[in-house]
Amino acid sequence: MGGGPGRLMNDIHDAGRVEPAFQGGPAAAPTEHQLGVRFTGSGSEYFRIWIVNLLLTLLTLTLYYPWAKVRRLRYFHTNTLVGGKPLDFHGDPKTMLRGYLLVGLMVVLYSVAGHFSPVAGLVAFLIVAAIWPALLKASMQFRLANTSWRGLRFRFKGSIAGAYRAMLPLFVPGLMFVAALLAVPDQDKPPQWYGGFAIGVTFLSLLVLPWLWWNLKKYQHDHYALGPLQTELRASRGSFYGVFLKTFGVSLAAMIVVVIVGVVIGVAGFAGLASYADEDRGRIVAAVMAILLGAIIGLLVVQLIPRPYFTSRMQNLLWSRTGNRAMRFRSELRFMPLLGLTLKNWLLMLLTLGLYWPFAAVATARMRCEAVTVRTRVDPESLLDQVRAGDNDAAGDAAGDLFGLDIGL
Amino acid sequence: MTQAHAQPLAAEYFDGSSARAHPVQLQFDGDELMIAGAGLARRVALRDVRWPERTRHGARVAHLRGGASLHCDDGAAWDAWLRAHGQRDSALVHAQQSWRWAGLAVLLLALLLAALYGWGLPWAARAAVAVLPASVDAAVGETALRTLDEELMRPSRLPPAQQQGLRDAFERAVAALPAETVPAHQIVFRHSRIGPNAFALPGGTMVMTDQLVELVDGDAAVLTGVLAHELGHLRQRHGLRLLVQVGALGAVSGVVLGDFSTLLAGVPVWLAQASYTRDAEREADAEAVRVLRAAGLSPLAMVKFFEAVAQRHGAAKEAERSWLGFAIASHPADAERIRFFRDAAASR
Repeated sequence: MGGGPGRLMNDIHDAGRVEPAFQGGPAAAPTEHQLGVRFTGSGSEYFRIWIVNLLLTLLTLTLYYPWAKVRRLRYFHTNTLVGGKPLDFHGDPKTMLRGYLLVGLMVVLYSVAGHFSPVAGLVAFLIVAAIWPALLKASMQFRLANTSWRGLRFRFKGSIAGAYRAMLPLFVPGLMFVAALLAVPDQDKPPQWYGGFAIGVTFLSLLVLPWLWWNLKKYQHDHYALGPLQTELRASRGSFYGVFLKTFGVSLAAMIVVVIVGVVIGVAGFAGLASYADEDRGRIVAAVMAILLGAIIGLLVVQLIPRPYFTSRMQNLLWSRTGNRAMRFRSELRFMPLLGLTLKNWLLMLLTLGLYWPFAAVATARMRCEAVTVRTRVDPESLLDQVRAGDNDAAGDAAGDLFGLDIGL
Repeated sequence: MTQAHAQPLAAEYFDGSSARAHPVQLQFDGDELMIAGAGLARRVALRDVRWPERTRHGARVAHLRGGASLHCDDGAAWDAWLRAHGQRDSALVHAQQSWRWAGLAVLLLALLLAALYGWGLPWAARAAVAVLPASVDAAVGETALRTLDEELMRPSRLPPAQQQGLRDAFERAVAALPAETVPAHQIVFRHSRIGPNAFALPGGTMVMTDQLVELVDGDAAVLTGVLAHELGHLRQRHGLRLLVQVGALGAVSGVVLGDFSTLLAGVPVWLAQASYTRDAEREADAEAVRVLRAAGLSPLAMVKFFEAVAQRHGAAKEAERSWLGFAIASHPADAERIRFFRDAAASR
């Protein structure tokens, strides 16, 4: 072991005693060090990388996809500087091809099964549901073990059992549904209770969604590790319910505003239209087109506003509450700039028929990465001197490497 | 020690087990890379170095076998140093870094997507369906009929004698065709909850709704034409073909746009699906003409059908449909189809 981890524990212990000062406020300033995150990628460069790799992916019937993905991840990682040093990605495309084919096969079987018979669809659903947590764990493990900073690989320390426990809120209503499906002998004549039961279970699933999200994030953020530093998520379930509830409120508000604006424009439009003669077909068609266009824009706005709200609030909650006694993250991603960026991205995506995507991806990554800082109470240099890889995590986890699963959850 | 080439490059060395950065000088020596710094001297065979691809932005990180790595923040210096040693970009990196190649890639991508949409996917779907046994159609059709019966259909209220009469009329018409061109089929009648309609399900079931029969006052010639159209769908196995075709299109669209938004990725699928269905309708119309002619009936029977439909919808809606429907309608405009059957009747 040497003195390394032991000394780190002392540092952490010392740091722990100044905890109140670290919790915030100007008093914390003297003992706090900040590592900023900078993103140096460029949209125009990523555009060239993206288009060339996309072409190869399509020409090879998507078999080239893992190579394109590794290239994308390496571009984004080496352009993300944490404390001035880049992240890196080490995944081997040949290994990832196996995982890609496995998941691809599953997706095809899953989407085809329902067309044959409801039973086949149900069986496919049950199989996917049963192995999904294991896939999640393998995927997290692979991604973390193949990501490095300052020459050190990250690790994901979550267990398979933990993944299943995390997914439990989803399994309970799911199993209730399946049980009910099996209990009803004749689907054409469902008994009285069936309708109410179905609504109840659906409502229950919605109700446990923030809980499920919390479980999943807790499972992920509790198990990130770099050397001896492992993170922990210190956010409550209640705070997740808060974010979901507020997002719901924002959606509702957006919808109300869009409906009001739509009605006002509609009434004004009809008033204008009434002054024209009935046989003026061109104008009627133009009006119908305008209404349709307006409806599409309205729908889009209702779709677009809640997403960046949720993203910013959730990122801030998650990362500001992630850390350990030696270091913490802090995320200050603001909603309005992210909303502006989202609307701009969508507009340009539509105008360029999708060619704007790489620029959008880079701009979004820049905004989201640069909102994050890492704060330590220990001088980063002395902290880093102590960070050493364990004996087992030198070359990444073989188990996660077997199929190179990287689902990106 | 052999002579070292060119200028050394300043970089940082990470040993892979500690986060500490070691400032080092890098130098090539034959087929080895020399890494030298304070208290550090390593020689690594060049085949054990995984070089990063050249990019304009971002740090360079080279991976050494065994877990160590070399970092260099100054990408330009790194690239110049490698070039001086005679290292060349791969063709792919060259393409990625050139606007000319990127422009060409945009063009090729557009051509490729157009070709996939126009020929590739329809051809692939036809080929895929050709190797699928008929039992697949039957299974898919059975599931679809069950869903329809639950959601949209009720048992037919037509007298059984009328049902049988229409079946017999159709079979008489079909009997005139060469037997190998007539796919297995059965006609079922249903009372629809969504108005007049008729459709063919994979596997051979043709559903005729009571409302459609009433719409044309039970005219057997017209209904034979409509059923012949549905028979065309069966003969071409349109149901399964479209399923495969649209599924494959969804996959392609997902690869291109899925990273940004699944909502946006659905738009081309939606538009193309409508276009593919329109093509299928045209093929089925041609089949209807074939059946009607063989049976000695006039294709004008189908014109009568469209007129009945138009009367029901009203003329105003028709104007709107022809304007807005060009991109999203699942069927070709009625006017076009009426012209098709008129021409078919005239060219007899």
